[in-house]
Amino acid sequence: MPEKQHQDPFEERLTAALRDTGGAFRAVDRTALVDAGRNRGRRALTRRRTGVLGGVAGVALIGVGGAMLLPSGGSDDGEQSSVASRATARASASAAAEPVSGDTILKSLKELLPEGEVSEEDARGSDEKPGPYAQVVFDDGEGAAAISLGFGRVEPGGSEVGQLTRCPDETFVPYDSCDSGRLEDGSTLRLLQGYEYPDRRVDTKLWSADLVTAEGQHVSVSEWNSPAQKGAPVTREDPPLSTEALKKLVTADVWRDVVAATPVRPAPTGSAPSSERERPPAVSGKDITQTLAGLLPAGLDVVKKGGQDTEFSYVVVDDGRGASLVQVNVQHGMDDVAGQLYASGETLLDGTRIATHQGVGDDRVPGVLMWTVDTMRAGDDGFRVVVSEFNNGSAHGRPTRDAPALTMDRLREIALSEEWDKLR
Amino acid sequence: MARQRRSDEYAEFATARAGHLYRSACLLTAGDTHLAEDLVQETFGRLYVRWGRVSRVENPAAYAQTVLTRAFLAHQRRRSSGERATDVFPDLPGAGDGDAPLRLTLLDALARLPAKDRAVVVLRYWDDRSVEQAADVLGVSSAAVRTRCSRALGRLRALLGEDLAEYARP
Repeated sequence: MPEKQHQDPFEERLTAALRDTGGAFRAVDRTALVDAGRNRGRRALTRRRTGVLGGVAGVALIGVGGAMLLPSGGSDDGEQSSVASRATARASASAAAEPVSGDTILKSLKELLPEGEVSEEDARGSDEKPGPYAQVVFDDGEGAAAISLGFGRVEPGGSEVGQLTRCPDETFVPYDSCDSGRLEDGSTLRLLQGYEYPDRRVDTKLWSADLVTAEGQHVSVSEWNSPAQKGAPVTREDPPLSTEALKKLVTADVWRDVVAATPVRPAPTGSAPSSERERPPAVSGKDITQTLAGLLPAGLDVVKKGGQDTEFSYVVVDDGRGASLVQVNVQHGMDDVAGQLYASGETLLDGTRIATHQGVGDDRVPGVLMWTVDTMRAGDDGFRVVVSEFNNGSAHGRPTRDAPALTMDRLREIALSEEWDKLR
Repeated sequence: MARQRRSDEYAEFATARAGHLYRSACLLTAGDTHLAEDLVQETFGRLYVRWGRVSRVENPAAYAQTVLTRAFLAHQRRRSSGERATDVFPDLPGAGDGDAPLRLTLLDALARLPAKDRAVVVLRYWDDRSVEQAADVLGVSSAAVRTRCSRALGRLRALLGEDLAEYARP
């Protein structure tokens, strides 16, 4: 769907900051880059002509885990994928059912919607690039609202299923209600009542239903209380479909036919098992949480824990004077940016580099503070531990106290603790 | 003859896009200029191989950006610590001018995002792609891009806070 250009202020500032920062990088020698690229291309062509497959990358792509929806003849990310993708394309070509047109998808959608007026219809069929979708503006008499429908495929049982159907972490993404569970047929369904803008600066509500079947078919329905996702005024209190109605819509059998009719091709970003082994394992989020919890001083209650699967985790602590979010990043291989990260910092006797920052945590909410101790251990593995804390309990709330719960000295002790080296 | 034409057309296109692609790569790699150069070369190599098709697609510049993003993610997946330079620090972007610390703060915040989330942010806010277009580049559903985007924005808000205030519109 063509998105309106209106963004929330943070997004606007981020765009400006990216432009400024990106623009500050100047290619050393364009001609050298262009020539080197041509030489690489020529070498690849030679390899191809002599029947030699493209080494590690070529092998890696054969073991593709994920798959995406793409019309036949879609784009290709490079010469190495040609063997793998041709093989997969052949295998799936016979399996794909008759294409479902955009008009058919719209017709099915209108049949499934309650009584009301449908306008601004837009859709793509299962054989159109970059994959099937439908979007309408629906008005049940209470106000015009955008409804959109998307389709995809994910690896059954893979990590993406969880990402699509788990309720988001409220510490970072606020929402009013979320329900995630398994249906009788083995599908997973998430019903989420949230907001278009995570900071709710504009109260555009975004309610969605995401269904992933046991076979990895993904159907997603989103609805807004406004005729456009972004930039149009709110026209009604809530989006038009209740969670029950959304559930009924997203689970309709007809959508599974749309996914089935869409040609499969290996995901360009699919897993690469053969090369995965070369990479040092990312530190698990659970280990980070556990280590962090073990390093907190006595007298602090941990009221919440969370994070990502790897490299990032947080706890919310309370010493009786209000909640305080403490977050940790643990990363390998950051040595190549050490010069930037610790330019203003100090180097300890054992070679550990350290930089500290005490600043404002959120420009939209007055009084939010963020304190950080950023460290990198000596050694060539670029092992980095960054601990930050806030004087509130979430990334988007009002301050819950004057200062974060831990002093800078304590924060420094935590970041420098030898316990982190066990995760190295 | 055909080879010469391919080479000329490729060179013209690549020279025109090199600067932008390199800057995109610097953001994707959160300031690792050596890796950025490598990724741009990789991207150009792929474009050269497929030049016949690339030159006919509707928007070769966008296609090049797509190839770059995928090359970056492929690199992240097979990255081993041995591949990284340990003795060379990248040049500071615009070192010496007043905005340098702010840029470093932004690069650091980008570095703290998972690679795919970072790619989503760069596609959406640097390259101005829609959610759907970003989904196409990354080979995931629009819903997955939304999820990543809102998570990444949440993290960036927390990490950057008021640091970006001077980019506020007057």
